[in-house]
Amino acid sequence: MATPNEKTVNVFGATLTRRQLMTAGGALFVGFGVVGAAVVKKSVKAVGARNTLDATLPGSWIEIHPDNTILMRTGKSDFGQGTTFTAYRQIVAEELNAPFEAITTVVMGDTDRTPDGSGAFDFLGRGTPNIRKAAAYTYQALLDLASQRLGVPKSQISAKDGVVSGGGKSMSYGELVKGQQLKLTIPVSGDLTSLMGLTVTGNPPMKPVSEYSIVGKSFRNTVTTSKVTAREKWATDVRLPNMLHGRMVHPKTLGSKLVSAGELDKSRFPNAQIVVKGNLVGVVAPTEWEAVRAAQQVASATKWTDWKGLPGSANLFQHLRESADWKTTPVKKSDKTRGEVAPAMAEAAKKLTATYELPFMKHAPIGPTMALADARPDGTVYIYTHNQNPQALRGEIAQMLGTTTDNIVVRSYSGPGHYGRSNGGNAGAEDEAVLLSKAVGRPVRVQWMRPEDFQWSTQSPAAFSDVEIGLDANGKMVAYQVDHYMPAMQDDRPVGAVLAGLPTMAAPNEKADFIGSTANDISDPWVYDGVAILMERGHGTFQVGQKASPLAIGLRDHSMRTPGQFQQNFPRELAISEAAALAKADAIQFRIDHAREERVIGVLKAVREASGWETRSSPRAYPALNDAAALRGRGVSLMFRSGTYWACVCEIAVTPGTGAIAVEKYTIAVDPGIVVNPMQLKRQVEGGAVMGISHALLEEATFDESGITTRDWLTYPILKMADVPEIKVVLLNRPEVGSYGGGSEAANALAAPAIAAALFDATGKIARRLPLKPQYVQALLKA
Amino acid sequence: MVTITVNGVRREIQAPNDTPLLYVLRNDLELSGPQFGCGLSQCGSCSVLLDGKEIRSCVTPLSAALGKEVTTLEGLPARWAQQKGLSKVEAEKTLHPIQQAWIEEQTPLCGFCQNGMMIKATELLERNTTPTVAEIKEAFTTSGPSAHLCRCGSYTSIIEAVQRAAQVMAKAR
Ligand code: FES
Ligand code: FES
Repeated sequence: MATPNEKTVNVFGATLTRRQLMTAGGALFVGFGVVGAAVVKKSVKAVGARNTLDATLPGSWIEIHPDNTILMRTGKSDFGQGTTFTAYRQIVAEELNAPFEAITTVVMGDTDRTPDGSGAFDFLGRGTPNIRKAAAYTYQALLDLASQRLGVPKSQISAKDGVVSGGGKSMSYGELVKGQQLKLTIPVSGDLTSLMGLTVTGNPPMKPVSEYSIVGKSFRNTVTTSKVTAREKWATDVRLPNMLHGRMVHPKTLGSKLVSAGELDKSRFPNAQIVVKGNLVGVVAPTEWEAVRAAQQVASATKWTDWKGLPGSANLFQHLRESADWKTTPVKKSDKTRGEVAPAMAEAAKKLTATYELPFMKHAPIGPTMALADARPDGTVYIYTHNQNPQALRGEIAQMLGTTTDNIVVRSYSGPGHYGRSNGGNAGAEDEAVLLSKAVGRPVRVQWMRPEDFQWSTQSPAAFSDVEIGLDANGKMVAYQVDHYMPAMQDDRPVGAVLAGLPTMAAPNEKADFIGSTANDISDPWVYDGVAILMERGHGTFQVGQKASPLAIGLRDHSMRTPGQFQQNFPRELAISEAAALAKADAIQFRIDHAREERVIGVLKAVREASGWETRSSPRAYPALNDAAALRGRGVSLMFRSGTYWACVCEIAVTPGTGAIAVEKYTIAVDPGIVVNPMQLKRQVEGGAVMGISHALLEEATFDESGITTRDWLTYPILKMADVPEIKVVLLNRPEVGSYGGGSEAANALAAPAIAAALFDATGKIARRLPLKPQYVQALLKA
Repeated sequence: MVTITVNGVRREIQAPNDTPLLYVLRNDLELSGPQFGCGLSQCGSCSVLLDGKEIRSCVTPLSAALGKEVTTLEGLPARWAQQKGLSKVEAEKTLHPIQQAWIEEQTPLCGFCQNGMMIKATELLERNTTPTVAEIKEAFTTSGPSAHLCRCGSYTSIIEAVQRAAQVMAKAR
């Protein structure tokens, strides 16, 4: 019921109610923010009515305060690249027509303090629309308010730098909202604690890109300053009163069951306590050092059953090809599939038939996963951790405990990047911390040790692909066929819950849709539209050892930076370079000749120019292989991912005697559409580039018949500073595209096919398997 | 109970002598610069200066710090202020040029390794005021117990930040 001091306005279908606060100006002032409890829309799965913000209220997203400061909240959990503190702020400030600096507070990733959820992937493309729309709705509400307060039609109101003007008068946003309460219900759909979270819908007017003045500038990341000055509160720093330190005693193998837990030596560890639940064994103690040593002592006395159910890394690809079940899971085809392959191949003048193989790789965060959990007597559980999808974690913990999500709160803090490992909700230690805390009735901080983080975490799945390319007499690709094979990529079951025998989502299976599905989608969008006949198939299967392990875990996989697409792009791009060589064509020109999209051609031309690429075919006229003298070559690769076009050129030197490859120069061109923050994007691309070289040259998670044998930085080496090449980043800003593509994901995938092509260019030998370790390369060159 | 000197302050510690210094710094002294990365002396996340030399606090027992000067990331501004003879008021407003360079170059990605990177840079620039790129690479790769590892791949910007800091420190001399 409208009261005399209440006014209602229609904002793009939503109703805006304004009420003058009688107590305005005093301590009761709430600004332009949350007002009361709102009706949760029918389309929103009503989860977590308690301990959550109502996403249908703009004030849950953005608050404008009378002192002209602005607070924004996003449930997207930034993962270390500072994007919520830079690009997100820029985008919000832009839509609000407020200064970047006015946004003084960014609340991120705390499930009880932010409105939306979903994982940190495609952070700009898929991540920003929610907060951007919320900002756009808020801006429209500001204009309506200004119209009323200035007594000028809305069409005559303009806003700039946080000040509205009209009819010769102006007012700052702070003055405008002072004493006002606004209630605007914005449309939202989706499931908060699912992988994709909530989506803000509707179509509020957005600022035209041509009027952007904040997006496109290199603002600094404020969190960087706090990290550099040791003022940041990391997840590793959170301490609670009465807290215990926990360490896990994980099973002996990926299929071992507990026979008997070792007895704690109380004479040495008087304050420690052991917790056993099913196959889950943990030790807690008041000090970290006691917990570490007590866990070691318990581990040495704990008995497990033996298990040998894995093929071992040496037999991996034979196992995948011959023994894995590729039949149960439906085959996926890309939507660009067209034409009849067989006749075209039969008529081809030249053909390439080849198989490409990629190993298991680890996310390998520089710090092992940890979480602090507080299972309180009232049934609520608070988790303090570093997570890419806190809302999904909330759902997983609720499921494990058989409670509702409104009892679970996740608070997010900075931590070591783990590149996708927790985008489905957990990174490893969260559920274990909760179970230990529940068992002992005190907050428990579980820190995985380095070997556990390699051996008990998920990994990026191994894969292989069979490629066939047909060329006509003019060296043009007439048909391309690929069959990609990869075990299930996303296993989001919290491993502690599995060990404890508690409820989790199902193990990957053929019936699940998307998450937890064994299906292998085509993840690498086809970019060579000049090829008339195309067949791309994805074959999926269960995780290696998943069915054989009595624990139902085996080699658990999880999406990792450029997931699935890395596994598909390496075969494609290396095969295209090989096809160019068959056609005696230049590898960049060959790509351009088969592309149709202007942005594909643009990014290839940009990398060609920036790298000083010499147009010629591969391999170069190389001298006879001589052990000592380094041979040099160059290669190119191309990818389209999350709205961004990428091309990279690697120049390498290989020493035949040792097989060692040194990447000497790395040039990368990036077209993300709108470049939001050039400085941050450049740093992210450089980081991705380095990680990519590391993947290509060094990384393979090895395993024997019982488990993962990679256990530390010696057995899983990553690139070191001495091996970093000269890196040149070319950013192509295309405001006319009107959208922002992804930043660092993809960059990590580009190096591998370019380096392998460069090796071919240098030596005439093709390495179709990663990683390109010296032993492998040396043997290849001797063959 | 033992006493150690951390960032110029004597601190009393109640922990067994064999406790890794890292746990003492993080848990007993609530310092958040040094991080637990591997506990195996393989990554450098936990680095601190012990009498000016970079060491791995994750494998250094508390007893090894007795009678020595421990400097953590938190202590870098004061270390610089002391080296430059800045007044207390000035010192409070000053960051170590290395920290400043890390901000200006926007070096950290996730930042978890950067404590060790800045500690290593301090050790390097206190000994070699004008390192070449090759010398920087050598310092971060082979000079210590292990290479300083950055999983996010920020090495390029670390090199740039070290060079920037070197210039500033040379000018301040
Ligand atoms: S944590 Fe000490 S070297 Fe890795
Ligand atoms: S910045 Fe993330 S590990 Fe170095």
